[in-house]
Amino acid sequence: MKFKISSIFPQTFLVTVLSAFCFLQFDVKPAAADFNALVPCKESPAFQKRLNSSVKKLENRLKLYTADSKEAKALTNEINATKHRFERYGESNLLCGKEGLPHLIASGQWDHANEFVVPGILFLYITGWIGWAGRKYVRYASTTENPFENEIIINVPVALSIMNSGFLWPVESWKEFTSGDLLNAEEDITVSPR
Amino acid sequence: MNYFLKYLSTAPVLMTVWLSITSGFIMFINFVYPDPLTFPSF
Repeated sequence: MKFKISSIFPQTFLVTVLSAFCFLQFDVKPAAADFNALVPCKESPAFQKRLNSSVKKLENRLKLYTADSKEAKALTNEINATKHRFERYGESNLLCGKEGLPHLIASGQWDHANEFVVPGILFLYITGWIGWAGRKYVRYASTTENPFENEIIINVPVALSIMNSGFLWPVESWKEFTSGDLLNAEEDITVSPR
Repeated sequence: MNYFLKYLSTAPVLMTVWLSITSGFIMFINFVYPDPLTFPSF
């Protein structure tokens, strides 16, 4: 059987491949690059402007009330909270854009880990904890005499002890994975008729 | 009393109680430490 070059690589295919190279960036920056478009929030004029305008708005509302009224007290608290918030964001490692709002860096670099990586890992840990406790309880229920009733009327002492011991879920799940208890055997998985 | 405990242990009731505790806990954290944009570094 003979192949023609043009049958394997039709012209449209070649054009697509070649044009794809035009969009490739060969100037790849290192992972720990600085962000040229962003400045530390403390040095951003737009950030300061936002602080001033938010405080001003609250102060204008404050003028409508007498000094010892409940509303005035709440507004004063809000002004203090606003100032405190801007101060805290300014002193942390946050970078602000042109519009004066903090941008979270999700590239995974270490000096910005507390903006995305740490909360992300914490989220995965907590959701894993919840899921692990649920799985363990359902598995416990399936060993009892009346599994359905145990899923509707929860055995609270057992459930609480399962929830409290769930913090070790990464270790426990790894142990189950290596012993083959975490996953079902291939032949036990039901598939639709095909 | 036994029946009452059983009622409290049913899934919908337990879920309501548990989610109230959880949401209260999150409200408390936001009251003590408001506007958390990043994970606090101590």
